[in-house]
Amino acid sequence: MSSALDEEASISIPSLAFVAVLGYFIYRYFFSSSPGSGTDGSQTFSSRSAGLRFTPAQVDQIAQMFPQLNRRDIMWDLHRNRGSVQATTERVLMGRGLDPAPPSFQPPISFMTTTTSSLPSSPLTLAASKPSPPDLITRYNLQSKVNSKGKEREEETPPPGWASSKEARQRMLQRRREEMILAARRKLEEKDAAGTPATAPPSTS
Amino acid sequence: MGSNVASKRLFQEYKSLLTNPVDGISAGPLNEDDLFIWEALIQGPEGTPYEGGIFPAELRFPRDYPLNPPKMKFLGEIWHPNVYTNGEVCISILHPPGDDPNHYESASERWSPIQSVEKILISVMSMLAEPNDESPANVEAAKMWRERRSDFEKKVREGVRRSLGL
Repeated sequence: MSSALDEEASISIPSLAFVAVLGYFIYRYFFSSSPGSGTDGSQTFSSRSAGLRFTPAQVDQIAQMFPQLNRRDIMWDLHRNRGSVQATTERVLMGRGLDPAPPSFQPPISFMTTTTSSLPSSPLTLAASKPSPPDLITRYNLQSKVNSKGKEREEETPPPGWASSKEARQRMLQRRREEMILAARRKLEEKDAAGTPATAPPSTS
Repeated sequence: MGSNVASKRLFQEYKSLLTNPVDGISAGPLNEDDLFIWEALIQGPEGTPYEGGIFPAELRFPRDYPLNPPKMKFLGEIWHPNVYTNGEVCISILHPPGDDPNHYESASERWSPIQSVEKILISVMSMLAEPNDESPANVEAAKMWRERRSDFEKKVREGVRRSLGL
């Protein structure tokens, strides 16, 4: 009986050691694999998109050439022609258009946005590096009208209507645009003048 | 042939916008020789920080318009949760039918051939008045709009002044 106990004890000590060693390795396995999860993640990502036969760069390339196309359709076409930008381009240029992607076609979300539209993640640096767009006065060449507007302020707004000649229509539209901008500027200036009577509104009487 | 239909439709929309202009909106092709690129001016809606501002935008129509919607991009600076920093506008009416796998939007909100340039511009105007921060295009602006409304409004007003050269 005592020998049986001895035997039991002698078995359990090595087995305990074995379990401990095994446990250590299991622990190490999980522990050491967790810092590498970054690469793990990208592996699962690439394996998920491995079924796709194109790259986001190719999608962007076509989307830039043909901004009217739907990104999903571009991806679907690229997927079917194994990432041939040329084939897709030709297809569009031939006027055949792209087939709509079936609902079952689910490219990774990251493919859906252009590389340029991923910029909002760093809007501050972008705003700093990008020169701000020209103001409306510069954009529509209204400097002269801003300065000499006193006399023509009443007669500007063109009446709604349709002119028969292309040039007349174009002029009408342009006048409408200009008047919208100038009116907005005038209003803001008037508000400024009313709000702060001490400072005279700039450059106008 | 497809683009012929598109040209006709665009020309018709241009005509109706010129004859019956919508208040606070002007829109038309940049050059009538190419009806697929338009420029629009949108007035900032009253009672919003955009009030008093004029926002120029470009509309690019696909050859199969009106089956598919145009793309719209603001040309000047505009700080808004639903406008990308590159100016691209993100609203449901500009999304092609059946394009939303997440089912955020019902089909009736998205583009369909019964919509029009006029409806797009009116939608964009109401988007200016009421940002939708559920699917922001400019995350930073959306956050500011949600958390620091007065800073947001100040930034928008400053942009409006700058854009008018004041």
